[in-house]
Amino acid sequence: MAFACIFVPDFPVQAVVRLEPDLRGKPVVIYQGAPPLTRVFGTNSAARDMGVESGMTKLQAEACGAIEWRWRSALQEATAQAALLDCAWTISPRIEQGPKRAEESLLDTVVLDIEGCEKLFGSYLKIANDLKRVAAEVGFETQVAIAGNPEAAICAARGFAEITVIPEGKEAQVLGKLSLSLLALPTELLETLHRWGVHTCGEFAALPEIAVIERLGQEGKQWHQLARGSEVRQLIPQDFPSQFEEGMDLDFPVDLLESLLFVVNRLLEQLCLRLRMHVLATSELKITLTLQPGDSRGKNTEALLHIRTLRLPVPAKEAKFLLKLLQLDLQAHPPGAPVTKLHIVAVPTRSRTRQLGLFLPLSPEPEALEITLARIENTVGEGRVGAPALMDSHRPGAFQQERFVLREASGEFTKAAEHSVHPVLRIFRPPLPAKVELKEKKPAAVVCEGAKKAVLAHAGPFRAKGGWWSESPWARDEWDVLIPSLRPKYESSFANTSNKKEETALYRIYLDLRSNSWFVEGIYD
Amino acid sequence: MYVELHARSAFSFLEGASLPEDLIAVAANHGMPAVALLDRDGVYGAPRFHVAAQKCGIRAHIGAEISVIDLGPQAALPSWIPNKIPARPVRLPLLVKNRMGYQNLCRLITKYKLREKEKGTGSATPEEIAEHAEGLVCLTGGEEGILAAALAHEGYEKAQTNLKKLIQWFGLGNVYVEMQRHFDPMEEQRNQAAVRLAESLNLPLLATNGVRYAQSGHREIQDVFTCIRNYCQLETAGRLLERNEERHLRSPKEMRQLFADVPEAITNTIELSSRLEFTLEDLGYEFPRYPIPVGETMDSFLRKRAEEGFSERYASKGDQLYEKAARQVQRELHLIEKLKLAGYFLIVWDMVRFCKEQGILVQGRGSAANSAVCYSLGITAVDPVGMELLFERFLSEERGEWPDIDLDLPSGDQREKAIQYVYQRYGELGAAMTANVITYRGRSAAREVGKVLGFDAETLDRLSSLVGNFEFRGAEDNWQTYFEHAGFDLRHFLIRKYLELCNRIQDLPRHLGQHSGGMVVCQGQLDSVVPLEPATMPGRVVVQWDKDDCAEMGIVKVDLLGLGMMAVLEECLQLIPRHYGHSVDLAQIPADDTTVYQTLRNADTVGMFQVESRAQMASLPRNGPTKFYDLVVQVAIIRPGPIIGKMMHPYMRRRQGQEEVRYAHPSLEPILKRTLGVPLFQEQLLRMAMVAANFTGGEAEDLRRAMGFKRSEARMRDIEIKLRNGMQRNGIDPLVQEEIITQITSFARYGFPESHAASFALIAYASAYLKCHYLAAFTAALLNNQPMGFYSPATIVKDAQRHGLRVRPIDIVRSDWLCTIENGTNKEGKEVPCLRVGLRYVRGLREKAAQGILRARSQKTFDGITDLAQRVPELQKAELVNLSEVGALNSLGKSVHRRTALWQVERASRPAGPLLDAIPEESETSPLEKMTNEERLVADFHASGMTTGPHPMAYCRKNLKALKIERACDLERLADGAYTRVAGCVIARQRPGTAKGFVFLSLEDETGIANIIIHPDLYARYRLIINREKFLRVDGILQNQGTISIKAARVMPVSITAAETESHDYH
Repeated sequence: MAFACIFVPDFPVQAVVRLEPDLRGKPVVIYQGAPPLTRVFGTNSAARDMGVESGMTKLQAEACGAIEWRWRSALQEATAQAALLDCAWTISPRIEQGPKRAEESLLDTVVLDIEGCEKLFGSYLKIANDLKRVAAEVGFETQVAIAGNPEAAICAARGFAEITVIPEGKEAQVLGKLSLSLLALPTELLETLHRWGVHTCGEFAALPEIAVIERLGQEGKQWHQLARGSEVRQLIPQDFPSQFEEGMDLDFPVDLLESLLFVVNRLLEQLCLRLRMHVLATSELKITLTLQPGDSRGKNTEALLHIRTLRLPVPAKEAKFLLKLLQLDLQAHPPGAPVTKLHIVAVPTRSRTRQLGLFLPLSPEPEALEITLARIENTVGEGRVGAPALMDSHRPGAFQQERFVLREASGEFTKAAEHSVHPVLRIFRPPLPAKVELKEKKPAAVVCEGAKKAVLAHAGPFRAKGGWWSESPWARDEWDVLIPSLRPKYESSFANTSNKKEETALYRIYLDLRSNSWFVEGIYD
Repeated sequence: MYVELHARSAFSFLEGASLPEDLIAVAANHGMPAVALLDRDGVYGAPRFHVAAQKCGIRAHIGAEISVIDLGPQAALPSWIPNKIPARPVRLPLLVKNRMGYQNLCRLITKYKLREKEKGTGSATPEEIAEHAEGLVCLTGGEEGILAAALAHEGYEKAQTNLKKLIQWFGLGNVYVEMQRHFDPMEEQRNQAAVRLAESLNLPLLATNGVRYAQSGHREIQDVFTCIRNYCQLETAGRLLERNEERHLRSPKEMRQLFADVPEAITNTIELSSRLEFTLEDLGYEFPRYPIPVGETMDSFLRKRAEEGFSERYASKGDQLYEKAARQVQRELHLIEKLKLAGYFLIVWDMVRFCKEQGILVQGRGSAANSAVCYSLGITAVDPVGMELLFERFLSEERGEWPDIDLDLPSGDQREKAIQYVYQRYGELGAAMTANVITYRGRSAAREVGKVLGFDAETLDRLSSLVGNFEFRGAEDNWQTYFEHAGFDLRHFLIRKYLELCNRIQDLPRHLGQHSGGMVVCQGQLDSVVPLEPATMPGRVVVQWDKDDCAEMGIVKVDLLGLGMMAVLEECLQLIPRHYGHSVDLAQIPADDTTVYQTLRNADTVGMFQVESRAQMASLPRNGPTKFYDLVVQVAIIRPGPIIGKMMHPYMRRRQGQEEVRYAHPSLEPILKRTLGVPLFQEQLLRMAMVAANFTGGEAEDLRRAMGFKRSEARMRDIEIKLRNGMQRNGIDPLVQEEIITQITSFARYGFPESHAASFALIAYASAYLKCHYLAAFTAALLNNQPMGFYSPATIVKDAQRHGLRVRPIDIVRSDWLCTIENGTNKEGKEVPCLRVGLRYVRGLREKAAQGILRARSQKTFDGITDLAQRVPELQKAELVNLSEVGALNSLGKSVHRRTALWQVERASRPAGPLLDAIPEESETSPLEKMTNEERLVADFHASGMTTGPHPMAYCRKNLKALKIERACDLERLADGAYTRVAGCVIARQRPGTAKGFVFLSLEDETGIANIIIHPDLYARYRLIINREKFLRVDGILQNQGTISIKAARVMPVSITAAETESHDYH
């Protein structure tokens, strides 16, 4: 058995640097957190040499000297991880991404089962070199190790620079020099070992096994074997039922959507077939498009990935429906370059089962509704479709946009009826600018849309002030005023009837206390 | 005209944003004749409100908002409006009409408060309201009130029913329908209904503003408080926050305009205000009467007790003193009789008697030590006549207030016994602890405001670690600097707001705590004088006022204070007979022990009471105490008063003969002679005023109070004029007058009472005597009563070792829970007591587990570690590990070292089950290496906070010597002005408020302690190193003029050990 491991040191920085080669060799710092709570999340060795540490504030980091900085990008890290996997996949189909450790997952690490690969790719050293080279092509500076078991490979990759190939049976000897902290042991165990005066893998490995088991249990035995480089375990490539994936490397870059959709359709059909075999549907679809490097002269050779994720409100298993959604999405978000590789992940879920009531009104089919919403979004823009919902705030008119979901019909009508006793305010969006004449600090006349209307009755002011802690505070006085209608309903037919009693309406006007401007906000029904 | 009759203060704890004084100031500004304070479920702010109102000539009406259950929850928003407003019981605003009403209110609050399970959750039942309604006026409240609730939940009919209930409880003339207008449409709908309801039931309308803050700008504080109360952030609090900023104290004109449509609602406020007769002056407090035998009066009984004690105390003293003391006692008894205070003295005497009977060490402190009656009754231990102390400082006819007697007791269980005695003696509702109002200070303000603004925990930790570390408030010790050091960008709007809010909420009440020892007692029902509520500690009850408020309201209190050193002395007195073969009586120890004074002069005072701090050590050699009074001066001189008043240096110079002793005026010589012409004590200032300006005793005491913490400029000016006039009449030269006035005014604020200093000096002397002559017992007692004092246990142990005490490490076979004394031999083979460190010093070891060890050990010795683990099942693995780490298990087998123990403990604490447990381990030894010296040090400090082995510095002395670094003990041999290098473990960092930003460090090495002085500029440069590093090297100029210190020129970290040594910083 033989396993290789690729490790990317300072992963958050490298995830950025690989897309911006100009930053290579410079001190780079990755920030996270919205201002003013920005903190250093990742650094590279050049930045650490200048004294920058993780957890510092932006001001503190900048005080260390001239550094390059970028925001942390989950997308870039995700693409980097995908790219790292791609590197591993060039050698072996059996790979394990970010093996789990006691307190963290090693996301910057990938392990490959390379047993038998030497027949295809040459010696282990060559394979390690190839892995390093391929990783360098996608912009990673990596440490690669090959050993007889996955854990020894991981330890060696994380502990030694460049390339390490451990000859068979020499794992304990090679790993012995490494610090125990590299094993990512549980804190409690690490403390116990330190109390024992055991600080390296070699010292730990030298302890008698039975005595270790008696003291640290089976878990301790595993760590002990790991320190000896003799921990044997199976790789856990992917948890099969957790998601379904299909992918295809294209023979030539595809830049037409129709051609791409043809391939997508084939993959989706396969996915749906497999889902149906398990009586499952999908609730989330993620498409990853690997794009051709942009520069034809070959200078910019990093591979770029184009990833789209569709979260479905109802479980679906029809390829045609999924294809339509993907088509609409890709039309709205076309890939920026020809596509060389496709990767689709479907998150499985139980199929939808629903018994419709005989007397309930028909509501739109969820699938059809979803396509309609996607079409509208395609037209008006991303994030601009949804249902308004009131917010918990005194700020007048404060609302947020929520995803539009069909509610169950039952019970809604009675609640609506309960509210209907209140007057309804029809809001002008945007509000109509106005001028208001005051008498004893109360509105006497409203001038709006070129007409001056005397105030016949009024109520108010109703005052709301808030957001004082933010840079966008609000403050306004509202009045309800009865005035001759601003926009009479039957203007044309009765225009010349001079003795007609003027139609009146109840309006809400308000004074924005910050800008000292008046507006007509709406009319009561 | 308009009177605000519904206002809350910040004493509604997070439901109001202004102090009572601010409310009064704004009301006065608006020209209101009266204003009412209705805090939530209590009268917490009433005394301050009352006092502030008195000063402004405003009438302070008292009342409270009472939470009531069974009347439905408060009005809620319709379900379709998103909000997080929690359901709470309605509040009934009640105003006090007369004393009966006040007593009813206090009893009502006490009743439901004592029932509450969680702080701030109690509510009254309707039956209780009905029962206590007499003398109270009920309002219907605003949005939290009964009317709003009924209208929102059940409609008009229900509201009418509820109003009828109120009429039934309070009577027709005592229910007012409240109207509030905060420019809120929903509130206006309620108002319309309220007007109709009032008309239908013939009830008067009353306009109020439901005030929650004095000025509109304080709404921001209210919003912050709301978020703190509801554990949310401003950004997400939504409708929990105020809708606008209208709940401030509005002017009568504004209110009239606002209620122009219902003018009677405004006029009714005046009418109601005139009906509220009660103020806090009419409190009705009465001190309990002491039960006396038939045929006696309290005065005669006290006289007998005082005379008995007097003959005992003064019999052995000279005739002259005896007669003088007899005259003084008679004079005092006469005054006590006149002021009807005999009961008070008898009650304190009774407490002291109980303590003595129970073997609890007790000593009166403070101004009581000025009284010969207190001395005769055994309350105090200092002879005021012999020491010529000023009685007027304690009691005077003019003052008309209760004397203040504070009793020092051993901290811990013994003090608790005394407190429980008072509870038993005066009943559950007759005695209570005074409250301690916890207010927002630097750290709590930074933390809570930060949370509300949405800052993460890590940022807040960093900021709070920077705030409030220093006693000294220099130019750099402000919020701005803290924020900058925490890495905040002050240009950012949110950060600026954070900074501003932190400043604004300083000193606002946060919650009610319990005062450490202040107790109030009452004749009869204390709950009719002030509401009581349960304290966090089970079985304790606190009043709603703090000790200053109680004093202000004329409620007498007795402070039962826990003093760590009293516990040390008590324990020491128990240890001595067992290990030294004789006993010691504190009252009989020689007053002029040369060893004690020599030790004090050498500033060798680690662990001694009051004289162990860095500043005390620096001044002891200069003061050079040779008699008890020198020690009294020593205790008093290192205080802000003498230092700020610039009295310390003149005294020291005169003491050392460097300056001539002179008096500002010949008449002051008898007063200042003992302190070489320099006023050091409050009593001296009082006497100076009496002699130079003909003040009476009471006037002089008034002077002291005027200069006190709550000093008022106007009152001080009046007194200054009075002083000048008096001195003028006595023909004192204007220049001398100026000097005397400067001395009095600059000093009176912080001056230390001589009587108090004398009481403390007694304890200081006793501690010094015991340390000098019974080092093992003293050190054991000191270690058993930690935490206390100035130094960490590690420093105490090292100091004792340097004084020749053999300190033995923690041993599972020999150590008890507490530190004990064992017999041992010294180098000469002589038998001497040795100290064995107790199991309490094993980090994380629970007393229950330690008792398990002792029990099992007494039955049979342990065979080994496995045996220990099996026979003491209470021992948890972490405890076994710490015992092993500290070497306590080394004696459980041959050639067991700490690592062997650690190795075996891991196996022993992981039982393999009945089948395999019996199989012994193949090898007895462990494969682990022995700990190195460094590892042992780290383990010692990690698992017990100290080491009994060599000092960490001793291990690297060779290298330090090569670097020409001196030992602490060698410094005295070096010449003044020499450039010197020292290094050591930082055991104390200080930046006293009086030292102008200078920082003092104490560096400990294996030979002693070196004192370092750091200039503010140097501190600014090396701030991080000085504050963070555990071991420092300091290069600088040696100052060897009586006291030895090094004025640092360079500070740098040195790598000695990774051990977690502790330092006592900035206290």
